Amino acid sequence: MFAVERINIIRSYLREHGKLDVHSISEMLNVSEVTVRRDLEKLENEGFLERQHGGAILAEGGDEEPRRLEISEEERRASADREEIAHVALLMVRDGDVIMLTNGGIARALARKLAERTGLTVLTNDIPVALEIAAQPTNKAVLLGGSPDPESTALFGSLTEATVQKFFVNKLFMEVDGISEQLQMTVTSQEKAALIREAMACADERIALCEAGRFSRNAFFRLGPISQVGKVITNTSVPERYKSGIFAMDVKLFTSVNAFEGGGNE
Amino acid sequence: MSPLLELRSLCKQFSTDFALENLSLELGAGEVHVLVGQNGSGKSALMGLVAGQGKPDSGQILLGGETVNFGSVPESRKAGIIFQRQDPLLYDNLNVAENVYFHRLSKRRRWPRIVEPYELREECASLFSRLGLPIDPGAPVSSLGYTQRLLILAVQTYVADSRLVIFDEPTAGMTDPEREILFTIVREIRDRGVGVFYISHKLDEIGIVGDKVSVLHQGRMTGSLPCRDADRERIIGLMTGKSFTERYPRLATTKGSRVLAVEGLQSDTVLKDVSFSLHKGEILGITGLMGSGRTRLANCLFGSSKPTGGSIRIEGRQENFGHPAEAMARGIALIPEDREHDAVFHFQDIMQNMAIAALSRFRGISGLDARYMHELSSEYISGLAIRPGKPGDLMQNYSGGNQQKVVVARWLMSLCRIFIMDEPTRGIDAAARIDIYNAMNDLVSKGAAVILISSDIDELLGMCDRILVLARGRIVCDLAQGQASKERIIDYASA
Repeated sequence: MFAVERINIIRSYLREHGKLDVHSISEMLNVSEVTVRRDLEKLENEGFLERQHGGAILAEGGDEEPRRLEISEEERRASADREEIAHVALLMVRDGDVIMLTNGGIARALARKLAERTGLTVLTNDIPVALEIAAQPTNKAVLLGGSPDPESTALFGSLTEATVQKFFVNKLFMEVDGISEQLQMTVTSQEKAALIREAMACADERIALCEAGRFSRNAFFRLGPISQVGKVITNTSVPERYKSGIFAMDVKLFTSVNAFEGGGNE
Repeated sequence: MSPLLELRSLCKQFSTDFALENLSLELGAGEVHVLVGQNGSGKSALMGLVAGQGKPDSGQILLGGETVNFGSVPESRKAGIIFQRQDPLLYDNLNVAENVYFHRLSKRRRWPRIVEPYELREECASLFSRLGLPIDPGAPVSSLGYTQRLLILAVQTYVADSRLVIFDEPTAGMTDPEREILFTIVREIRDRGVGVFYISHKLDEIGIVGDKVSVLHQGRMTGSLPCRDADRERIIGLMTGKSFTERYPRLATTKGSRVLAVEGLQSDTVLKDVSFSLHKGEILGITGLMGSGRTRLANCLFGSSKPTGGSIRIEGRQENFGHPAEAMARGIALIPEDREHDAVFHFQDIMQNMAIAALSRFRGISGLDARYMHELSSEYISGLAIRPGKPGDLMQNYSGGNQQKVVVARWLMSLCRIFIMDEPTRGIDAAARIDIYNAMNDLVSKGAAVILISSDIDELLGMCDRILVLARGRIVCDLAQGQASKERIIDYASA
């Protein structure tokens, strides 16, 4: 698991609970306590939390300050992976579809590509996605209401969940933050998990999007087994055991094979 | 009285994906027991255990009431078990009569032990005329066709002493008169009090030769009943079992213009009249039993067999390929059924295995541009997740699935437009299957066309836009994705 991600999880956990203890966090994230302590130290330096014996508490006003991160090689790779996944997802969208995108980086990449389609109605809780779609002349965006989360620039909460129930979509593209060895899908916040659960009930077809780098990780909030979706899109580089595992679960696994050079789209 | 053969809860693990589980059955003397099941259901594997080809992990085999434990095929043969396999192994350098009596030559006379060629031929001729077999006993075996060889093999079994005979798809590819001869042979062997196992894909044969029928599905026995109660629907139901149908990742594509049109194609007696067309962006499935002509069809399209009639048009132009190179130049690729034998260069590295069909792309100032070859093959390796994945690795060290992905990469690299894949996923691991299915999506989404030849009906239903069923050299049905079902396909294929 990337440090960036771990730190995000710790942040959202702290925001929700106000305090945490090192041992249980290290178990949940499946990393050593030393690593968790190092992360807490970093967050303390940023002024986000205050370390205490065996754990930490949210610092006063700690979560207001936005932070900057450098783009690492890993991040660049992940961004290429997201583009590839978005490309496969695009091939599943037909003109005139009513779809929903839950918030995340792949959803944003997909939103940009949706300019190639016409007559779409796109439901989302992700603010940049909604703005992107709204700028496309023939597509319509519907932004779900709720309370904005500054970090993910998306809307969450009971209001969002209640709004989702009013719609029915052909295809739900749900971005998950982790798929564990046991093929459980997880996300980084409880609100996100609750929202996706609601959305799953209102969709004809459920399609999970997950970068190869996020397999064998737990993003802490459990969404359910992979058999709850009909399709999964990921990158070709995902470890073989996941390919065979998902195949054995009788779920369609799409990988972003882009090897053939012959001709363009015809 | 104890039955001639009894199998008591046999189990054997063959691989992680395939095992025989808890199989029990009985065969009486003078009884024909038919075994049916889809390809890979374990029929031949089970019979292999009976004939001493490997030992069960657990369970017992009783012959005439006594436990036997054969360590090899010759051992079981000594005990009177004959396993007649699908591939007719005969001595090509000998004539028909010599092959028929080969295992009895030493027993024909006590003394002197010499072979009397004329006597042998006469005896064979009278046997053939009794059986109605129109083959010249003096003809060299090398001049015979596949089905004639199968018949010679059956006669060889007929003249041998035996207690138990196993026929493995003995009528594959045979015409009706040829089948009749084979049935006569089976019945006469049975009437001597010999027990017969008869593996078949043709469901009508159950009622013709069988006394009892057992159905296997994925290594388990799903049913065993007397042949008079075995109606077709019931057998098909037992053969299909519960299956996985949702796991095939197919991206819907839009069908483009027609790239291939086949009209009235004939090839010797194997293909009689085959017509179909293929469009850009389409995955066309073709299935059929062994001997239905599907591999011959692939070879005709690729220029490695010559059609004897009909026409092949590619993008509107009439083609008459005399050599695969001509087909490749027109954008046709063939991934052959027998990977080990026909596709893989075991002692060459991954890079060479990939580049071999696209060498013109690497033309450099002096010879091949090895740097570009290395670069491009590295891209394909990561594109198809080939592992371990160094361009310099020797092909022979790779797993079957990764070898197959290299073969797929080879044809992607050659920039063909029509991909004929003959059993591309047979015997490879699930992860490699996923990669190959997604590579097929990649192809059709970029306007290429794929012909997928397969015996795995779930795979065809999951991946194809249309499915053609071949039987005895003819297309017996053409089903669109929505109309096709496993039962219908099995029904047509085994008609």
